[in-house]
Amino acid sequence: MSGAIIWTLVALGLAVLVVRRRSLAVALVTAQALILVGVALDEAESSGDVLAAGALAVRAVVLAGLFLLLVSRTRSVRPVRARVAPLARAGIAVAFALALTWLVPAIGLASRDAERGVLALIAFGIATAALRRATLFQIIGIVLVENALALAALQLPGGAAVAIELGVALDLILVAVVAVVFYERIFAEFGTADSAALRALRD
Amino acid sequence: MTSREVLAVAVIALPALAMMLLLLAPTGLVPRLARFAAVPTAVLALALTVLALRASGEPVVGDWLVVDVAGVLLVGIIGIVGLASVLVSPAYLGTGTDSLVSRERRQRIYYASLYGFWAILLAVPLVGNLGAAWLLVEATTAASALLVGFSGHARALEAGWKYLVLTSLGLGVALLGIVMLAAGIPRGGLGGLSWQALSTYSGGSETALVAYLLLLAGLAAKIGWAPVHNWLPDAHSEAPPPVSALLSAALLPTVLLVAWRSQHALAPVVGERTARTVLIVFGLTSLAVAVPFLWRSLPWKRLLAYSSLEHMGVIALGIGFGTPLALAGVAIHIAAHAVAKALGFYAATPLLTYDPRAGEHAVTGIGRGQPSLGATMGISLAALSGLPPSPLFVSEVLIVAGGFQAGHPWAASATALLLALGFLGLAHALIETTAGDSPPRERGPIAGMRGVAALTCVSVVLMLGLAAAAVVLPSSDLVDALVRGLS
Repeated sequence: MSGAIIWTLVALGLAVLVVRRRSLAVALVTAQALILVGVALDEAESSGDVLAAGALAVRAVVLAGLFLLLVSRTRSVRPVRARVAPLARAGIAVAFALALTWLVPAIGLASRDAERGVLALIAFGIATAALRRATLFQIIGIVLVENALALAALQLPGGAAVAIELGVALDLILVAVVAVVFYERIFAEFGTADSAALRALRD
Repeated sequence: MTSREVLAVAVIALPALAMMLLLLAPTGLVPRLARFAAVPTAVLALALTVLALRASGEPVVGDWLVVDVAGVLLVGIIGIVGLASVLVSPAYLGTGTDSLVSRERRQRIYYASLYGFWAILLAVPLVGNLGAAWLLVEATTAASALLVGFSGHARALEAGWKYLVLTSLGLGVALLGIVMLAAGIPRGGLGGLSWQALSTYSGGSETALVAYLLLLAGLAAKIGWAPVHNWLPDAHSEAPPPVSALLSAALLPTVLLVAWRSQHALAPVVGERTARTVLIVFGLTSLAVAVPFLWRSLPWKRLLAYSSLEHMGVIALGIGFGTPLALAGVAIHIAAHAVAKALGFYAATPLLTYDPRAGEHAVTGIGRGQPSLGATMGISLAALSGLPPSPLFVSEVLIVAGGFQAGHPWAASATALLLALGFLGLAHALIETTAGDSPPRERGPIAGMRGVAALTCVSVVLMLGLAAAAVVLPSSDLVDALVRGLS
């Protein structure tokens, strides 16, 4: 996989952290996943690899469909404003990514670029879940982390086990379906998609 | 296939099949079908446990399936707690009509999710592979999150959402650790992640250590070890009581088993002392974080949740000390904690019927108005606090002694001190809950109490049996098998 593709994936991840609209964030993580599908198909050496790429594609399309349906059904009168400004979010996420890259030794992937890309995307995913107030962004943060891990699986010497890739895709879809059920009920119960409303349980 | 392998497959397949039947069955049949399938599932689980314990010196070890002492101990516990949870569920479902789903689908979705969760829990201790174990642990998140938020109330939705997001992110971090390990294991494919193949990692000790730390930190988010335990008190307190019992008594130790197997498999790569020290640090941190909450006046289920944090810390310490004494303590502790904690959560259904404020406030003097309920809560708390003759007293003594035996006098001393402080907090809660001042309340029978009273009698017998077993266990072959693990 070329460095340009890896850094495109990273740029898309950073954009998710910065953009305001939920639908745009969904489009960005879906684009990321579809690029990974293209790479997986390009590098496929066996029917198992093609099957794994297919699972990734199904996962990308199903999640995009679910999330866009959710966005259309839970439109807020006023968009949820993040507590941290976009540039500050990007700065925090980049600092986190640099710290991770510095702390974690060589992972053993095909290239150092791929390793840095994986760590950066994981940092962006965690930062998205932590810094964005709209609840959908917390699930998108999880998807970003899973995209990072799909990139890592593609760059493993010898490739990852197909069963694991299929299982990860299935698990993520299951988690997303449950998240969608919760998201709709939270919106109905609290009248907002703002995670700041979820603060009743404290000791 | 050996008889143990056949039984192991059947133990997983039966509840999975029941889940599918529950989704398809006519609505009126759902509760009966749920009760009907629970007994054979538990019987199969116990049969596997007995069969495997009798052949403790010869574990079944494959790329996909393992049947060993540690695994079947948990299978037996999950079987019993799952059966009890199914049997007490009608009392919970009878207390209200609110839920995440429509009223018509309420029972069907509840029981199908419960069976799905139960089936996955039974599979985790039997799976022979870190990658597959991760997939199953992640799958428990989807099934159990739905159950945590099942009531559809605002607090339950918040708890379910936190649980879903925090544990999914944590497991993402654990998966990064697994990918790092996979990159350094010569044998590719899924077999490369089998418990036995993990020790062949050859990617460098520094990378292996980081992978191990990421794996354990990620699993810690699911086990509820401090400092990544934030979801635990919320989910345990807001889930339906039968689900809280499964979460605390079955899910947490099951994921802990994955951490234990990982520690055992990776110890030759990262170093025995380092691998154990990580667990000791998680254990002491969890104990230190839990104890102050045990001194506070908390709602019943929330108090039990913080007690889970304490007990998962104790188990981590026992595994970290790793001596035969400590591991004997771990085996008793896991079983006794499951019995006592599940009983405490089952008592919450009649408690909430009796005093609906108990969901958000500490309760006092329950024994004055409701002696049976007070006795159940008292027995659960007394056992959890480690009051003799509770088996948890014996197991804690064994674990602390194991710490001294392993050459960790400071950690063992700190454990003993924190356990003593935790005991005092829970003892105070025990006195207040059962015999404290009681506001005027209605007296009379409470729905669901008969079943809980029967479970109390069974639990007392089980706990006395465990206390007796704890005396002979340290010198038995079973502990040798626990020390050897899958090797």
